[in-house]
Amino acid sequence: MSFAEVSATAAMVVGAVAIIAAFSIGDARRRALVTGVLTALCGFSGLLAASGVLATGRPVHAEFPHLLPFAGLSFRLDPLGAVFVLAVGGVVTAAAVYGIGYTRDHLSGRSFQALVPAFALTLLLVPAASSMGTFLVFWELMALTSLLLVLAEQRRSPEARDAAMWYGVMTHLGFIALLLMFSLLAAHSGNGSFLAIERSSSSMDPALRSLVFILAVVGFGSKAGMVPLHAWLPRAHPEAPSHVSALMSGVMVKLGVYGIVRVGFGLLGGGPSWWWVVLLVLGAASALFGILQAIASSDLKRMLAYSTTENIGLILIGVGAAGLFTTTGHPILAAAALGAVLLHVINHAAFKALLFLAAGSVVHGAGERNLDRLGGLMRRMPVTGAMFALGAVAIAALPPLNGFASEWLLLQSLIHGADSQALVVAIAVPLAIAVVALTAGLTAATFVKATGTGFLALPRSPAAEAATESPRSMLVGMGFLASVCVLLGVGVGVLGAGIGRAVAAVGGVRKPAPFRVHGSTLSPPWQVVGTSMALAAALVLGVGVIMVLLRFLPSGGRRRRADNWGCGRTQQTARMEYTASSFAEPLVRVFDDVLHPDLDIDVTHRQESQYYVEKIRLRLGIKDAFEERLYRPVLNGIHAWGIWARRLQNGSVHRYLGYAFAALIILLVATR
Amino acid sequence: MSLLAKMIRTGRVTETPDPSTDAQVLPAAEPFRRSIQVREVDAGSCNGCELEIASAFGPVYDAERYGVRLVASPRHADVLCVTGPVTHNMATPLVKTYEATPAPKLVVAVGDCARNCGVFAGGYGVAGAVSDFVPVDLEIPGCPPSPDDLLRGFRRLTGR
Repeated sequence: MSFAEVSATAAMVVGAVAIIAAFSIGDARRRALVTGVLTALCGFSGLLAASGVLATGRPVHAEFPHLLPFAGLSFRLDPLGAVFVLAVGGVVTAAAVYGIGYTRDHLSGRSFQALVPAFALTLLLVPAASSMGTFLVFWELMALTSLLLVLAEQRRSPEARDAAMWYGVMTHLGFIALLLMFSLLAAHSGNGSFLAIERSSSSMDPALRSLVFILAVVGFGSKAGMVPLHAWLPRAHPEAPSHVSALMSGVMVKLGVYGIVRVGFGLLGGGPSWWWVVLLVLGAASALFGILQAIASSDLKRMLAYSTTENIGLILIGVGAAGLFTTTGHPILAAAALGAVLLHVINHAAFKALLFLAAGSVVHGAGERNLDRLGGLMRRMPVTGAMFALGAVAIAALPPLNGFASEWLLLQSLIHGADSQALVVAIAVPLAIAVVALTAGLTAATFVKATGTGFLALPRSPAAEAATESPRSMLVGMGFLASVCVLLGVGVGVLGAGIGRAVAAVGGVRKPAPFRVHGSTLSPPWQVVGTSMALAAALVLGVGVIMVLLRFLPSGGRRRRADNWGCGRTQQTARMEYTASSFAEPLVRVFDDVLHPDLDIDVTHRQESQYYVEKIRLRLGIKDAFEERLYRPVLNGIHAWGIWARRLQNGSVHRYLGYAFAALIILLVATR
Repeated sequence: MSLLAKMIRTGRVTETPDPSTDAQVLPAAEPFRRSIQVREVDAGSCNGCELEIASAFGPVYDAERYGVRLVASPRHADVLCVTGPVTHNMATPLVKTYEATPAPKLVVAVGDCARNCGVFAGGYGVAGAVSDFVPVDLEIPGCPPSPDDLLRGFRRLTGR
């Protein structure tokens, strides 16, 4: 057995043991500890298995023909799946360690503790599934376990029920699309295995192939949180316990991307350029809409959830660009774009999970996640604050952290594609560059807002004032992801070979794939990225050393400590500070065509004179435009239809007998 | 164009320096080397002194000829020029302003109110004279002091 096979087996066994342990250990605190450690080991083994596959390029196979009736379970972890398993494994490790401290007080129940490793196992197995049956089973199990985890805190917050309802409905609508899609594919190939589908899909009718692709985009897009199917995401992610949010936002949505890449490039083997333009447009819409909603929301976890939509948008832009470059004959650019996408999948998993864990730590320490009522946490929760700041720098794509590496690579591949001769590329790619650049700027503003108003300045509520630092296990979980963010930024070249193998594996089995690029062809951009990241790191380090030296070296003259000059004012209260809403207000005003802010100012005058103001109330609500314009009419329609249908069933027995009689007559006439 | 014409028509309005003011430089002002940056602090003045200070820096008296400049922050200042009796509300800001001024620094008490509370002595809002809160290096008497008085005082700091 190879290293990867051993690790994969270990991951499965340890994960199963974790589920059993969660049910069998009686003491609540010990249950949280043991389950957390075992789940972390399961995730880490998955990470090792994925690194083994990426290092050698040899897939891991496993067949269990008797486990599921008719089809059996079959797994094949190839380098493409391994990239996603790598991300899942890393996030599961961190989230499980974090979960020890996070869950031991109020979430240590048996079923919750067992659901977390179960969710982790399904996350690890979905990218490894190699037949339609296996894939759909684990896809659905992943949806169900995460749905139950979203409901974990429903007693404390009624919104969780609403969120779970949205999530359940959206994810199952997506599942229907996937079921239809796989049925079409399997009906053509006569066999549900991915290998058979890949071999036969090129002989499919082009219209049918396009239908399959559209269904895949709808089905996987609803899981990925792509606009306009994102409505569940900003509801479900904030309501789930934070380490579950980290798993959902960091890796579960990525499996939607995995599905699109697997079906679009792998099973269908590429397609006409309009497919990829559709994907590019949807990606651009997700990126812009997601980040605009993120900048406007003052709920910390909701903001992070919208930022996930934005990052999925960037990833879809990359996937669309890769497909477009393939169809227009730029295989090297396509490989670079897809490589950037896969790198961003790993990087986003690292920093988004880190941010969600830090947000959970804030909820744990301060009991509050509204940025307008936080503030001053850097002093009270220094480690959490530092972790959040690091994650914010990474997600804002500042060198030398990992977010910069992948976004820069994505921009590079787009910029070099802009001088293409093909008309569709020449139009789509410059627009995509503009979207990526605007998104990057708005992301920086969003996370300046979050860090500045949440962690700096003075506390704006008693809850924030009484905040306490989280237990050590939570800090260790965050520290793991933070070090990954730094390492993947400075040492991005480490992943180069593995990602190159994953890109090469995307192309399919039999066809000479356009992505089959030799390691040498792909390596130069990676080396360049690696070098510039190292330079940036050296620069940051150098500035840091100089600042430390200036601080501690003796200087001429006497030092006097004095307050900042505040024009002699005697008070400094939290009411004078920027809040998250007021910081975002100018941008909300600029983009009010998209955001439709619902602003309500209510001024109460004193009784004596209307020139004296008693109090001013300002309420700023940002509604999701898609929810208002797209979902609300559909829901209202269904509701109206339901009311109308109620007339059929009014409780009268005579009427029901009449229906039965009419049905009988119709049947007799029809089958005459 | 009409502005230029007006400037030419008006000519020079600045009064010639008074040669009799044989400026004797205050020893404490030596480090400033004939040039001082002044921050004005209104500690509770009736604004009479402010009017005179404004005109001292206007085109007619033009205090900047003598190396005196008004600045916008105590962080930029060598000299604090304090007017008015110190009111309760301004006592802390005055001390904070003094703290915020980099050394070496001087304090000039402008007007009778700044020197000894003047007509406001004993008022319910008055906390004391300027010297009760910060050390005063030079006093310019008058209620209000005329621009000539102000220039004579400032020239003792610049020696010009």
